[in-house]
Amino acid sequence: MTALEVAGLTKRYGTVRALHDVSFSVSAGEIFGYLGPNGAGKTTTLRILAGLAHPDTGTARLLGAPAGRAAVRERVGYLPGELRLYGSMTASAILERFARFRPHRPPVLRQLLLDVLGLSPADLARRIKLLSHGTKQKIGLVIAMQHDPDVLLLDEPTNGLDPLVQRAFRTVLQERAAAGRAVLLSSHILSEVEATCHRVAVLRAGEMLAVEAVEALRARIVRRLQLRARTALPNSLSNTPGVAKAEINGCDAVLWIQGDLNPVLRAVAQLDVERFVFAEPQLEDVFLGFFAGAGS
Amino acid sequence: MIVLNLLRHLASRQGPFLALCSALFALFHFLICAAVSSANVGAALEALMHSLPPLLQNLVTTQFFGGLSERGLVAFGWNHPVSHAIGTAVAIVLAARAVAGEIESGAAELLFSQPLARGTYCGTHVLFALLSLGLLSLAGVVGTSLGQAAFDMPLFGAGALLTLALDFFLLQSAWYGIALAFSSYGHEGGRVAGIGFLLAVVSFFAQAIGRLWSAAAFVLPWTLHHYFSPQTILVENGSPWRLFLMLFAVTSAGIALAAWRFRRRDLP
Repeated sequence: MTALEVAGLTKRYGTVRALHDVSFSVSAGEIFGYLGPNGAGKTTTLRILAGLAHPDTGTARLLGAPAGRAAVRERVGYLPGELRLYGSMTASAILERFARFRPHRPPVLRQLLLDVLGLSPADLARRIKLLSHGTKQKIGLVIAMQHDPDVLLLDEPTNGLDPLVQRAFRTVLQERAAAGRAVLLSSHILSEVEATCHRVAVLRAGEMLAVEAVEALRARIVRRLQLRARTALPNSLSNTPGVAKAEINGCDAVLWIQGDLNPVLRAVAQLDVERFVFAEPQLEDVFLGFFAGAGS
Repeated sequence: MIVLNLLRHLASRQGPFLALCSALFALFHFLICAAVSSANVGAALEALMHSLPPLLQNLVTTQFFGGLSERGLVAFGWNHPVSHAIGTAVAIVLAARAVAGEIESGAAELLFSQPLARGTYCGTHVLFALLSLGLLSLAGVVGTSLGQAAFDMPLFGAGALLTLALDFFLLQSAWYGIALAFSSYGHEGGRVAGIGFLLAVVSFFAQAIGRLWSAAAFVLPWTLHHYFSPQTILVENGSPWRLFLMLFAVTSAGIALAAWRFRRRDLP
């Protein structure tokens, strides 16, 4: 069942084109990654879906109803990319206040989220303005998810969270998806999308580059391998299957690898390696993969 | 439920400010009565008037003070800049905070992503503001009534005071409507409040000049303060309905424009 659908979404802010003809859909039970650099149009899309902004053309629908309708937001949870809360209220008062906007959906997940995110009663008793950025982000996540929404719109949700909490939060998201909830997760961190999502849309400068399964995205990523050997490296390394580009300079080499890593690993295993650095792929590596594929 | 939640939130955020303004407003009108009764202000002003040219004397005493009687001076208290400043501060601050201030605080994005229709939000804010301005106006009436009773002054009567409160309420509602229209277009509460106060100051001084100087009288219908006339209500026992109608029309137009714009704008 389609939980969220955008079709032909276009939005301009004055002369700036924020979105151009963006279309995708997310099914119930799916975690959909929305990947792109800052300024790509991710936040604009989420704001349109949350009923905050109006598209110039195109449609955005949530659970079969137009996204701008207040009633449909009863079943939606939204975390803004730049979360700001009432500084003078305590965290617990904020949670209670936002829970009251949904009288028919009690905050059934609140305690679970507080536990997973490591929010203590002492944190909840403090005023928002006294909390750290990471703790405010956790409060924002609880607000977005405490009523167990059918659709979750999360804009850079792990921003400011430490790695252990990020991992625990990912588990919660996966559990919610398994329970039939649809999640749209916007991020500029490739590893987060890779680890969390089933499918991913790649956005750049307001245009959709691709919508594909995470496995397909992985195959596109151009990964960078830095090598140093004790003896001069053979030039034949650049001809190894999967090596898209190679810079070999005596004992040092940088290899850009796309797709299956095993042929390269087997070739490297033959060498007397001193240093082997496989950098975490970045978002730029995805774009590199797209342009390599397009021959640009 | 959602409206109650919002009203409760507004009461907790604006309550201290409203309580302070209402107390100040009541105290100010109480003190006006004290000043009028304890010193012979009328005689002092009359002496001052004698130093003015005869034409100006007539203008000041009849047009501005509504006569130098105790009633006229108490009525002048309601037209005093301090009285207007308190009332307009409440009206403009509430309007500026409603949309532009909420956006400036940064909380608008999360708030408006809740199942809260913009019409409901706008309507609740208007309801809260009108209740607040009503209470403020009544606080002024209470201050005047207590002052009159405490200093053995002739009473105006409940009908006249409530009519005065209604006129004051409508004047401040009109400022609220205008400021809310600006707020619905804005992103910064401070800027909206600044524009609102500037308009109120210009309106106040334009009507004061228009009343004192016949050559400038043409500006009077274009100032909102012209439609607030304690003298007409308390001293002359005139019919205030024309005043009410104009202020009600401005209030309605401002709120309607604000609601129209607010429903269509992007947030934040």
